[in-house]
Amino acid sequence: MIKRFIGGMKERDSRRYFFTYLGGKMIGTTAVLALMLGLAWYVGGRAGAQEVETPLTAAADLINPINTMWVLVAAFLVFFMQAGFMMLEAGFARTRETVNVLMECIVDTAMCGILFWAVGFAFMFGEGNGWIGHQFFFLSDAPATYGTTGVAFLAFWLFQFAFADTASTIVSGAMVGRTSFKGDLFYSIGVSAIIYPIVGHWIWGPGGWLATMDTPFRDFAGSTVVHTVGGVLALTGAVALGPRIGRKFKRDGGGFMVGHDMTIAAIGGIILWFGWYGFNPGSTLSAMDLEGIGRVAANTTLAACAGCLVGLAFMYFRTKKWDPGITINGFLAGLVAITAPCYWVSPLGAIIIGGFAAIICVLAIDAIEWFRVDDPIGAVAVHGVCGIFGTIAVGLFATGDFGIPGATGADISTGTVTGLFYGGGTDQLVSQLIGSAVVTGLVLIAGLVLMYGLKAAKQLRVPTDIELEGIDIHEHGGSAYHPEFAFTGTGVPASSGASKEA
Amino acid sequence: MLKLVTAILKPHKFDDVKEALKKDGITGLTVTEVKGFGRQGGKTETFRGSEYTVELLPKIKIELIVDEAQVAKAIETITAAGQTGKIGDGKIWVLGVDELVRIRTSETGVEAI
Repeated sequence: MIKRFIGGMKERDSRRYFFTYLGGKMIGTTAVLALMLGLAWYVGGRAGAQEVETPLTAAADLINPINTMWVLVAAFLVFFMQAGFMMLEAGFARTRETVNVLMECIVDTAMCGILFWAVGFAFMFGEGNGWIGHQFFFLSDAPATYGTTGVAFLAFWLFQFAFADTASTIVSGAMVGRTSFKGDLFYSIGVSAIIYPIVGHWIWGPGGWLATMDTPFRDFAGSTVVHTVGGVLALTGAVALGPRIGRKFKRDGGGFMVGHDMTIAAIGGIILWFGWYGFNPGSTLSAMDLEGIGRVAANTTLAACAGCLVGLAFMYFRTKKWDPGITINGFLAGLVAITAPCYWVSPLGAIIIGGFAAIICVLAIDAIEWFRVDDPIGAVAVHGVCGIFGTIAVGLFATGDFGIPGATGADISTGTVTGLFYGGGTDQLVSQLIGSAVVTGLVLIAGLVLMYGLKAAKQLRVPTDIELEGIDIHEHGGSAYHPEFAFTGTGVPASSGASKEA
Repeated sequence: MLKLVTAILKPHKFDDVKEALKKDGITGLTVTEVKGFGRQGGKTETFRGSEYTVELLPKIKIELIVDEAQVAKAIETITAAGQTGKIGDGKIWVLGVDELVRIRTSETGVEAI
């Protein structure tokens, strides 16, 4: 090493490079040091000059900005779940409908934003009665901060829009491969503007009837509001559509149609997990409840881990294969289930909930298959069924130590939430069962009306030949994947007079 | 005498054809996803608003080697299972095979099918 260095130094060029670099680095380091010393002297000097300085901002004035920042960071994370959904759905879909899957998620997002600005937020978070809100249409007459949260009104709106968007995207998962693009736009309007906001109002809205029961129904981050609603609507969509052409069910000697890209699906799943760190911890709406956000984040992680491992083991026990699809669905099931109870349970409780969710998810997939419902990505089992389980789990596993998060810190003034297993009796469990049953039942009816209405208007499903040749090529002008040379080699712009006969 | 039967099919008809051939006792076939055109012509695609007449459509090519006596049956099966009656159903052609060897055992001729 040293020998090589000395040898190198004998050559003129090497010598020159060595000194140039060394010299340059020395000058740079000296400059940075000088700057640091100078700044320290300057700041120190100023502080010395003004001996008693009154702080410009009182600590209390920082609460709202910090909470707002926390909610915005969480909103950005929840928004990024769209990327996860797109990848998960595209990966489990076939190549011929990949563009369609991507387009549906993107356009759903854009439409949901406009609809949630116009009416969705008003129905969900406006003052009104126990069933529906009617304030803040088009975000008019908005106060600076929302309610008692101390969070900037529009930051709160953004966070809630990201949630609404998640619900509407979940629905498309079970309808992949046969829903027409127009049909998707129509049902998305129904979901984003009407069904999701109204159900949400009952649980999260001011004066919502489920939130004001004697023992309030508790859904911390949306196992019911987002996931049960999305999953049940997905079920109604899949039932109204019927299976994809050529899909044979297990009891008829068939099975799932194979997804086309497990790499994309797996990474999409992990991006969803990542986004959940906005979904659950962000739902405190308060960074001041520091123990709360820490607990929620840890519980979210542990439930996902347990769901992942239990799903993996359960499938290995069955098929002697380390199944990637169920491993991904397993941790998603754990995440969906922990979404409602994440604030009120212990880490051990989170692990038990996540583990059970994975088993319930696999059994639900079996049941849906048995009923001959074609759900290409398992949205009904993961979001619908595990959402119901997570909601009920609040009534079983809540430890009784925690109340609600408040703008300035954890708040137990309105009582704590205690589940059956922690000596809380059946009060909370009954509330959870009532809420979950009512939401599931009414959303099921609303979904069937919406989906069968679109079906009757012949807007829901693509014609047979389009489905067989691929929605991408017919509705979106081309496939996601081209054989590059064959495509560009013979494709000529139609305007150049080439034959357009098809 | 051995024959090579090659068929071009609509992609979504491949499963039906494969199952029908298996029922006939065909023990193996080779599949390629191909692109091409025939009398059906191309299809207009769009990319960022520009229209393209892509003169190729995705098709499935299957190849199977059968004994001369089975050729008629194979053609009949492929035709029956692969037909939609619409333009673009594809073609079948048959060539003679000079030699056939199973690599594992060095068997030749009909034994190697």
